[in-house]
Amino acid sequence: MSDDLFLDSFRKLLAGLGADPWPELEASGFLDVLRPEAEGGAGLDLGSLFPLAFECGRQAAPPALLQTLLARIADPAARDCADAAPVLVAGGVDPDAARALCAAADAAMMAGAIDALQAMTLDHASTRRQFGREISKFQAIQHQIAVMAEEVMAARMAAETALVGAPLSISAPAAAVAKMRCGEAAQACSGIAHAVHGAIGVSAEHALHGFTGALHRLRLSHGGESYWARRLGEWALSRRDDAATLARSL
Amino acid sequence: MLAPLVPAAIGPEDEALRAEVRAFLAERLAGVPGALRARTWMGYDADFSRDLAARGWVGLTLPVEFGGGGRSPFARFVLIEELLAAGAPVAAHWIAERQSAPLLLRYGTEAQRRDIVPRICRGEAFFCIGMSEPNSGSDLASVRTRAERTATGWRLNGSKIWTTYGHKAHYMVALVRTSGGPDDRQAGLSQLLIDLKTPGVTARPIRDLAGDEHFSEVFFEDVDLPEDALIGQEGQGWSQVNAELAFERSGPERLYSSTVLIDEWLDFVRSRGGPTESEAELAGRMIARLATLRNMSLAVTGQLARGESPVVEASMVKDLGASFEQSIPALVTDHLASVDGPVPSSLLATLDYLAGMSPTFSLRGGTREILRGIIARGLGLR
Repeated sequence: MSDDLFLDSFRKLLAGLGADPWPELEASGFLDVLRPEAEGGAGLDLGSLFPLAFECGRQAAPPALLQTLLARIADPAARDCADAAPVLVAGGVDPDAARALCAAADAAMMAGAIDALQAMTLDHASTRRQFGREISKFQAIQHQIAVMAEEVMAARMAAETALVGAPLSISAPAAAVAKMRCGEAAQACSGIAHAVHGAIGVSAEHALHGFTGALHRLRLSHGGESYWARRLGEWALSRRDDAATLARSL
Repeated sequence: MLAPLVPAAIGPEDEALRAEVRAFLAERLAGVPGALRARTWMGYDADFSRDLAARGWVGLTLPVEFGGGGRSPFARFVLIEELLAAGAPVAAHWIAERQSAPLLLRYGTEAQRRDIVPRICRGEAFFCIGMSEPNSGSDLASVRTRAERTATGWRLNGSKIWTTYGHKAHYMVALVRTSGGPDDRQAGLSQLLIDLKTPGVTARPIRDLAGDEHFSEVFFEDVDLPEDALIGQEGQGWSQVNAELAFERSGPERLYSSTVLIDEWLDFVRSRGGPTESEAELAGRMIARLATLRNMSLAVTGQLARGESPVVEASMVKDLGASFEQSIPALVTDHLASVDGPVPSSLLATLDYLAGMSPTFSLRGGTREILRGIIARGLGLR
C-alpha cells in the first residue's frame, strides 16, 4: 500500500470514529502498526508513524489512540491507554527510552494540532470582516499569522526529525528537541489563534478549543519544555562539541 | 497554507568537504579572539577570501566553465556552515559570491560573465549592493538615484547609504531609477553594474556602534557608465532584485551569527564543573532552537537543489533565525550577571559586541516587518 493510501485510510478512520472508537480502531489494524510483522503487526518504523501521529493532532483524535499504539509495542492487548510509558517500562523497555518515545509522539501530535490551528485561523481571518474589510487585511493580523506559520513549520520539522528509525532506538536528544520546540510553538500558536478568533473562539461550540485544549494536555504529558531543555543541555554540556556540531547531530 | 518543508540530508560526498574546511579554519583562525570572530560575514579580510578561493571555496556552486566549483547547494551549505560557525572573516567576497555572480550569470552580457565571474571565483572581484538611500530604506521603490541615457550609455547621479563595504568593493550592483518618478513606484527601476573606479564615484565609510567601518555612503556625480552597465532589462530592476534577495535570505548565515558566543559560553559553563539545572536548561533551549532552524535551513537548501524558488520559506527561516540569533546575547547576559566568580574577559568582549550589534540581525537583508509581509503574501493574506 502506498504511503498516501495508507494515510488516507487512516484519515477516513479518524473522521468516522464514533462514541466508542476502540472496536473500530482494533479492527482497523492501525493500533498494531509498530508491532513486528511476525506477530501480526505492520513492523513500521517511526518515520511511518510520524504522519499518523501528525494526523491524530490535526483531527484532535483522542490522545489515548496514539499512546495505545505505542503501548502495544510491549503489550499487544493494550486498549484505551492514557500513557504508554509505564506499560513499556513494565515490558522491559528502558524508562528513559520509553519517556523519549512517548514525548516525541506527543510532539508530532502537537505539530498536527498546531497545523490545524493555522488552517482555522487563516480561514477565520479571511472571512471575518471588521472596519469594512476582512481582518486578514490588517498588517497587525498578517504579522501574527506569519509568526504562526513559522512556528507551524518549526514544530513539524522538530517532530518529524525526531521520529526516525526503530521505535525503541529513538534518540533521546532529538526527542528532547521535539517536545521542547513543539511546546514552545504550542504556546505561541494557541495564543495567536485565540487572539485572531476573538470571543467567537471561546464559545463552547467552536472547534478551536478542541485543539488548544489538546495542546495544553499534550504539553502536560511526558515532560515540559524546561524538563526536556535540561535533559538536552546536560547531554550538550557533557560533550566537548561546539554548538554547530551538537545541532548537526540532532 | 504552505506546503510543509521536506527534511533534507547532506550526502556523503558533500559532507566529506567538512573535515577539510574544519582543518583549514582550525589553522587559520587559531588565536583569533571570539569578539573578532563574532563579526563573521561582517569581518573583512581580502587575503583570507583569496586563500579560500585558492582552495576552490569561493563560487563552489557556480559553473566550472566560469571558474566555479560546479558543486551542489548542499556542498555550499557545508562550507558556509563551517565558515560562519567558526566566525571566519568572509565579508570581502561574500556578496559577490552569493548574489552578484548568480545575478551576472543570469542577466549579464557574455563579456561580463566571461570577465567578472571568474574573477569573483578567484577572490579578486568584490561586490557591494546599492539598495538603501538617505530617504529610501525598506521602501526601496522610492529610490531617487537616477541614470539618464546618453549617446554612449548612462549618466548616473545620486547616492546610496548603509552599503556594506561599499568603500572597499570593486563593483556595485545598484537599484536606480531609469525612468519615471517616485510615484511610479516599482516601474522604471533598473539594476546597474558600476565599476567603483569610474570617475565621479566617491565612497566614505560610516562608523558603526562597535567602532567598525563595515558600511558606507557612496556618491555618484555625473558618472558615465557604458551601455552594458544595465543588468537584465530596463525597468525590470524590481523583480530582478527580489529574485536576488531570495539567495540572500535562504542560507545558514541567518542562524549562526551568535554561535561564537554560544560556544564561548558553553566552554565557560563546562569549565566550572557540573552545570546547574538552569545552566543545563539554557544550553538545551539554545541547542534545540538551533537544531530545528538548521534542519529548516537544510530543507530550504533542498528546495534550491530541486530548482525551486523558496522565497517565502527562506523569509520564514530568516525571520525565525534572526530572532534566535538576537535572543542569545540577552540570555547569556542574564546568566553571566547571575554567576559567582570571574567571567573570562574574552567571553565578555564577544557578548558586548553581539549585545550591541544583534539588533541589526532583523534589519539587514530585509527587516522583520518586510519579511512578515512577504510571508503573509505567501499565505494569501494580501
